[in-house]
Amino acid sequence: MLRFAPSELTDAELALQDQVREFLAAELPRGSFAPGLGMAAGRDEDFSHALAARGWLGMALPRRYGGAQRGVVDRFIVVEELLRWGAPVRYHWVADRQTGPLILRYGSAAQRERFLPAICRGEVSFSIGMSEPGAGSDLAAVETRATRVAGGWRVSGTKLWTGGAHENDWFVVLCRTSDEDDRHEGLTQLIVDLRAAGIAVRPIAYLDGSEFFNEVVLDDVFVPDELVVGDVGAGWAQNTSELALERAGPERWLSTYLVLEQYLREHGAVDERAQAMLGEVVAGWWGIRALSLSVARLLDAGQAPVAESALVKELGTRFEQDVLDAVWRLVPEDPDPAAGSLFERLLATAILGAPSFTIRGGTNEILRSLAARALRP
Amino acid sequence: MTVADALAVLRERGPDRAAENALLGEWLLARAGLSGEAGEVTVAPGSARDSVVLADGRVSGTVHRVPWARDAARVALLADGRAVVVDRADLTVQAHVNLAGDARDTVVLDGAGARTGAAVDPEELFMRGALTRIALMAGALDRLYEIAVRHASDRRQFGRPIGSFQAVQQHLVNIAQQVALAGVAAEATVRRAGGFEIAAGKLLANRAALSAGRSAHQVLGALGTTREHPLGQLTCRLWAWRSEYGDEHHWSTRLGVAVARAGADNVYPAITGGSTVVSV
Repeated sequence: MLRFAPSELTDAELALQDQVREFLAAELPRGSFAPGLGMAAGRDEDFSHALAARGWLGMALPRRYGGAQRGVVDRFIVVEELLRWGAPVRYHWVADRQTGPLILRYGSAAQRERFLPAICRGEVSFSIGMSEPGAGSDLAAVETRATRVAGGWRVSGTKLWTGGAHENDWFVVLCRTSDEDDRHEGLTQLIVDLRAAGIAVRPIAYLDGSEFFNEVVLDDVFVPDELVVGDVGAGWAQNTSELALERAGPERWLSTYLVLEQYLREHGAVDERAQAMLGEVVAGWWGIRALSLSVARLLDAGQAPVAESALVKELGTRFEQDVLDAVWRLVPEDPDPAAGSLFERLLATAILGAPSFTIRGGTNEILRSLAARALRP
Repeated sequence: MTVADALAVLRERGPDRAAENALLGEWLLARAGLSGEAGEVTVAPGSARDSVVLADGRVSGTVHRVPWARDAARVALLADGRAVVVDRADLTVQAHVNLAGDARDTVVLDGAGARTGAAVDPEELFMRGALTRIALMAGALDRLYEIAVRHASDRRQFGRPIGSFQAVQQHLVNIAQQVALAGVAAEATVRRAGGFEIAAGKLLANRAALSAGRSAHQVLGALGTTREHPLGQLTCRLWAWRSEYGDEHHWSTRLGVAVARAGADNVYPAITGGSTVVSV
């Protein structure tokens, strides 16, 4: 049986929410920056430093590594406010969300000392090196290979859809270190310097014309032993848990929030059609947020809500697209991506970005199969 | 019985007359200063087709879709803004039913003697009625989920459980999601029954009723379409409750107007704070 238990925020959590709202209103007032859509927002190292100074990066990491030791719900509260504001979260996004917890859980003592304080200070950036030309949903098919050499590994292969590889410091590469009967064995995670010799980064022109995603070719790149994450050969399990527990956060249902908010700011909800649309989407957010928050509570309670997370991501990402369609239907002409109207620009960006919502981080089809395993009497 | 207890009964047991009457009939009479009488009291929910006038303590007119009027000792209704109660013996009942065959009677009043209480805002009754429907629908959806999941596991076709087919799994996932949404809506409205929560909760319950209902029938196949099968009983009631105390159009427009009035800057605070931020 699924374990969704809705909850209210405590007074302390509401106080944190107020602090984040006040911080954003003061540091990043509306009109002073170009808001982005969810985790595809802008990149601003100074802003990431300002968040770090407030203790809002690495929030769930232990104090001894510079974290706030505050838990998943507190991070949820900060992240949802940042995303709905369209704040430039891209510099620290992967490090804060994914790499920090991965290194805390599986990394060596030396890796923790080296990377976690820097993540909490907002001084290091990471990309993800999972997908490959022949390994999308079927991640165990990765062909990037690391071969043992003195003091480390030589890595060759091609990673695809590596967001920010051209601007970030490191990426965590899932690669094959041995051939086993079970292809889920013999995989290993390595932390690879994106400026290392032998790395070539080529941009992928995305639908909206942006070049955030890349193809990264590794040609005999040397990776020292101290940058192996966890155990050699244990990469599959580590990678799966990294994906599974980060699935149901606010980034999975807020990607089109600002399109709606900015529509209201510029056009209002003046007729019944717009009013009904607004009521529908607000009710949807209210319900999905309650489910997403309940997953965060389960994580704080030490549980592993794998099926619940998959259900929320699947639901949330389709909802993001539904919101977009609902707002889009109120607009008589196709939006101009270079329009003077912020709403029109956000709408255009959202339309062109929407196909990825239900693909990135695990396609909805894979998520449904994953969740269905838990749907038994 | 507290409100939370009565809502829990509705969610766990389905249409329970005692619980529903406690939440609606007895509440309305207490609200109007007419409590203290013994005997079951049902409430006219207030249909657009109703027309009643109150004059000199007598009520005339017709009210529709009254649950179990035929069996109740008394019928409470709002007439000219006042809460009134009429004994069963003083009114005529025309038996009608909802999609599930549950009594939704038409009550004809012809100068019936009525005890007249205080003025009650029809909106208060309407909100409370919606609250009962959210609880009922969440409960029916809980049971619908159990039925669909069990059937997908037990029923074999092509030599294996139908739940092992991805196409069937997609329906189960949809049901689980919709049931979860209706469930959090019901729990949230028990905790805080403000206008925002009721509006959003009824919208989610209505949407879940249609979507999960359709998926569950697809999982059960022809077996779920008989009058006897528990799935059909559940979906028929869900479809009926969908319209009672506000359909999607009613609540979405109303919620949208309230949020639009609060302004663009307050949309997100409304999503997180509900009725503490926006008055619906």
